[in-house]
Formats: sequence, structure tokens, C-alpha cells
Amino acid sequence: MKVIVCVKQVPDTSEVRVDPETGTLIREGVPSVMNPFDQFALEEGVRLREAAGGEAEVIALSMGPPQARSALMKALALGADRAILLTDKVFAGADTWATSLTLAAAVKAAGKPDLILCGLQAIDGDTAQTGPEIAHRLHLPQVTYAEKIMLDGRTAVITRQTDSGYEVVEVRMPALITCTPPADFVPSTPPYSAITRAKKKPYEEWGVDKINIEADTLGLRGSPTQVKRVFSPPRRDTGVMLEGRSAAVIAGELFQALAKEGIL
Amino acid sequence: MITYEFSEEQEMLRQSVREWAAKNLTPRVQEMEKNKEIPHDLIKSMAKMELLCPTVAPEYGGSGFDAVTAGIVGEELGRADYTASTAVFYLVQASWAYLFDKYGTHECKSKYIPPATKGDAFIGIATTEPGIGSDLANMVTTITPNGNRYIVNGEKNYISGVREVKQYGGGHVTIARQNLQAGTRGMTLFFLPLGLPGIDITEDEEMGREAISTGGFHISNVEIPKENIIGKEEKGFYIVHEGYEFARAIIACVCCGAAMKSLENGISYIKERNAFGRPIGKYEGIQFPLAEHYTKISMLRDLSYKALHMIDLEKEGKASRMEVSKTVAMAKMICATWAMQAIDDVMQWQGAFGYNKECPDQAAYRAVRSFTLAEGSKEIMKTIVARELLGKEFITYR
Repeated sequence: MKVIVCVKQVPDTSEVRVDPETGTLIREGVPSVMNPFDQFALEEGVRLREAAGGEAEVIALSMGPPQARSALMKALALGADRAILLTDKVFAGADTWATSLTLAAAVKAAGKPDLILCGLQAIDGDTAQTGPEIAHRLHLPQVTYAEKIMLDGRTAVITRQTDSGYEVVEVRMPALITCTPPADFVPSTPPYSAITRAKKKPYEEWGVDKINIEADTLGLRGSPTQVKRVFSPPRRDTGVMLEGRSAAVIAGELFQALAKEGIL
Repeated sequence: MITYEFSEEQEMLRQSVREWAAKNLTPRVQEMEKNKEIPHDLIKSMAKMELLCPTVAPEYGGSGFDAVTAGIVGEELGRADYTASTAVFYLVQASWAYLFDKYGTHECKSKYIPPATKGDAFIGIATTEPGIGSDLANMVTTITPNGNRYIVNGEKNYISGVREVKQYGGGHVTIARQNLQAGTRGMTLFFLPLGLPGIDITEDEEMGREAISTGGFHISNVEIPKENIIGKEEKGFYIVHEGYEFARAIIACVCCGAAMKSLENGISYIKERNAFGRPIGKYEGIQFPLAEHYTKISMLRDLSYKALHMIDLEKEGKASRMEVSKTVAMAKMICATWAMQAIDDVMQWQGAFGYNKECPDQAAYRAVRSFTLAEGSKEIMKTIVARELLGKEFITYR
């Protein structure tokens, strides 16, 4: 079984601050991390490989500047078998349309996977578009918002989040799944032995020549959307906090407050 | 000039330890300080991260870290645990397991090091005695050969980790006089399991780093086997310094981590806190000490890692014992003082909150204060540097 996990390096948004005068994000000095949704997808991929046994393989795939290598090295330390970084000036400035085109081409070039796992979304853009677009470009079925994946032969059984709870769906492989961690997910931190093993695993950097796509359709030139401005929304006042009493009392107070506002 | 550069693996480890600590350690520091204990599940989590006795060979359960890599972990624990309790737990074990691994017998190492790497035992150091700190030549604890065994008598105090050894097992790398006429030339180093009959442990209260214990023990006719001797008999004084130097260099890294974290706390605070219509970070009275402390701690950090790098170079025969001693002493001499000065100003910027028990920086201040003394006082560090500059004929104690 072959699993490709798409991984993005993002600024650690817990460290991003807002310029109080301009309202724009200050990215200077902000450390880069692996997108947390992608880390969950990767750990799911590694878990599925362990369960499958045999010649199963997990490939971590990323697109980004050369510095994105560190996210892939972490993926290797977390258990991926090999890693590919798509890095080329022509990939730069891509929106989700151009990114999914590039990643889909790389998936084809890396060989037919049984599963493609993506994080639900990246914490810098929050679009949640790239995964589904890759599935569309590869003509694969997709399941989004997956919290748990089990394999039953060539079928993946997926527990996915919905607005009202969970639903369990089945999909025939090959398929693409976007993943979101359950509340109790604790991301792994690799120890030194895993880090030193990661350095010995295959790691490749691919340019545009490897994926056989016209350069004009990639990167900024291939992107129909562009970011005009990034800013922080105006701060809202803190809401009313109901606390310090029993759940039943708080529920009653909440009901009355909502009724008073005409919401209920 | 000796320079060092962190490898990709070392940078990855730093990031991994930082992430681990942010999730598992920092949120529990207040609880640890209140309960005066490092929870066992946290110690086990450190073991899972391979942070316990990390320089030890894989054969005995370690990860074979070099000294620089061990320093990185020390710096990160200094950042993450503002009471420095876990940093002390880490560095004491790391340093004395390092020495134990290097000079101990296979039988003794096999018995005591693997449980410590798993978080099920503690390895400490016991040299200090009542009235005898740096002046080891006048210690009273003795070790006497008796057939195939040795008899130990005496007393040790201000020893880290006595309660942890009682709870989990393990013991202390201990030094005692064997040839009573030979002064420092007649000392023997050995591993003393504190669970042996004849050992009576007491605990002390300290002003900081409260989650790791400090105490002492009386030793009354305690028998140890020959395999517990570390290095050659009557050569303990010479090899014990290798453990101290390792510990001192890691302490310098811990101080860097604590001071840098405190300065970061301070930077956030002085940008937000307004006085007289503007953020206090706009006043030069705040800016100048900030710039000075940042510069000094950055310099200290470079010196600390240079010291650790020289320990690694010494193993390859590329640095001498004396060069290592001097560089380590330079870093240890200033680390706690400079870190305290930085943290003291961060406390001052925060006004009354800086003196409040809820302020992490006051806990860091109390913790870092211990490092002006622990593993060799800053005054002794100065005598070491001066000895290397002036020559052995100027050694104070001769």
C-alpha cells in the first residue's frame, strides 16, 4: 500500500502578532512549523501503514521554498518513509488552484497511491480547498473532515465530522481524504533517535522539470486569485461569561439570555 | 579559533523538545512547584523523548548525544520550566551518568543506568559535606577496602535528588577519601545506591527549584562491591572534574534559556504596558538594560556552547583538559549572575506583579540564584580561570 501525505510548512500562528497601528500580521521572526492538520494526517498515514504491514509506504509531499525541507524532515522523523519537496521559482506565489495542479502532477509522478491524505486546511490560509482540488484533478473520490480512518481491504471506512456530529462513510481506494484531529489528539514530538533515522531516509527535491506541467500554468502566473491584503479583524468586546455555578443553572441562565435576545 | 555550528539534527531536536515542553512541561510547572515534586508521568515522558542520561551509549539505554546536543536540551528545559526543577533533574543525571558511563564498570552500569534512562531511577552526585564545599581535600567521608568489598562512612549534604532516589531507586556518584595521607590524590569515586542499609537520608527546604529535592545522608558502615568503583582507586579527584565540567557547561545553557525566556516575557510586557501615555518600552530607561541583557546573554550562549563543543573536541584529542576547564569555568562564572541581572530587570519592569508568586520570572530568579553555587561556586570558577592564566604556581590553595 502506498500513502501520500501532503504537508505544508506554515508560520506558527500562535506566535503571529498583529501590528496595532496597521492591523497587518507581523511575520518577521515567526518560526515555521508543520501545519498541525497535516501532522495529524501524517500520523494517521503512519498508523495505517503499521496496520497494513507488508510493503506499505508513506511518502510526505510538500511544495514550498527550500526552507520547507524542515517540515519534511519532521515528517520523516514522525515515520514517513521518504519525502519529496517541490521547490522551484515557478511554483512561487501559487493560490490553491495552482498549488493543487502542482501537487496533483507530483502525485502522478510519484506513482499511483492508494490513499492521499491531506490536512483539512492550512492554518495560514484556512481555505480547505487544496485537498479537494487535488482529488478533482486526479478524478479520485474524496472524503473530507476525517477524524478516523480504518482500512477493510480496498475500502477505507472513515469517521468524519459533520455539523451535527459524526457520520461513518466508506470509500473505495484509491481516494483522497482530508483529515482533522479529534479533540484529544496529542501531536507526537520525535525523539533524537527518530531524528537521526530521518536523516538517513530518502529525501528528494523536485523542480518543474519533474512534473511535466507548463510553467505558465503554475505559481503566481497560473493563479486566478491573489491575496490583496492580510489583516486582523476589528477586536470585539468579550461576551457574557456564565460560570462558577452548576451546569444546570448555567443552562437555565443561557436559555433565558437567548430568549431575551429573541434568538429562541 | 574554535567555532561550532548546530547540525540539522540538533536544530530538529531543539524544535522537538520545545514542542514537547510547551505541551507537557510548561503547563504543569505551577502544579509542580506547589506540590514540590516532578510528577512521575512527566519523568516517563522525558524518558520517552530520550532526554534522560542522553549521552550514555545505546547499549545502556542512552542516545549517545554529544555534549553540545545535551546542552540544547538544557537550554530548552531552562526556557520551559521557569523553576528550573526539571532542568536540574535533567542536568544532574546527564552529567553524572556521562561520567559513570565513561569510567564505570560494565556490571555496575548495566544495573543502574538503564532504569535511569527509562525514568525509573535517578543518578546524582554526592561530593559536598557539612563544612566542606569546594575544599574537597578536607572531606571526612572515607572508603576503606575490606576484602572484595569496601566500607563507606561519613556524611554528605546539599545533594540533589535524594528524595527521587528514595522514590524510584538509583544512587549517587560519590567521592570519599581512601588514602587518608594523600589529600586529593587519595580519593576514590564510586556509585552509592542510597537504598543500602546504613544510609539515613534527610531533606532540606530551598528558596527555589522546589520540585527537585535537595538533602543529605549519613553513611554508617555501608558496604559496596568492588564493581561500584568508578575509574581507578585513589584517582577520583581527577575524573570527578570531568563530570563537573559537563554539568557546569549545561548549567550555563540552562541559565541562557531561563534568561532569554524571561527577556521575551519582558519584551511582550513592555510593549503592552502603558505609563504616562505610551508603552514603557519606548523609554530608554527600559530599552538600554534590555539591549545590554540581550547582548550579554547572547554572548554567554555562544561561550556556553563553545565550552560544550570543547568537551566534544577533547574526546577527539583536539582540545586539552586545561582548555576545557578554563572555557567551562568562564561560562559558569558569569552565567547565573548575568541571568539573574536580566531576570531581575524583567521583574522590575513588571512592577508589583514582578514580586508576586504568580509571576514566572520571580521563580526563575530564585532558581537561577542556585547556579551561582551549584556544581562549583562562581568564586571557584574565577580561581580556575586565573590558574590557567597565571600558571599552577599561583593556585590559591597550595
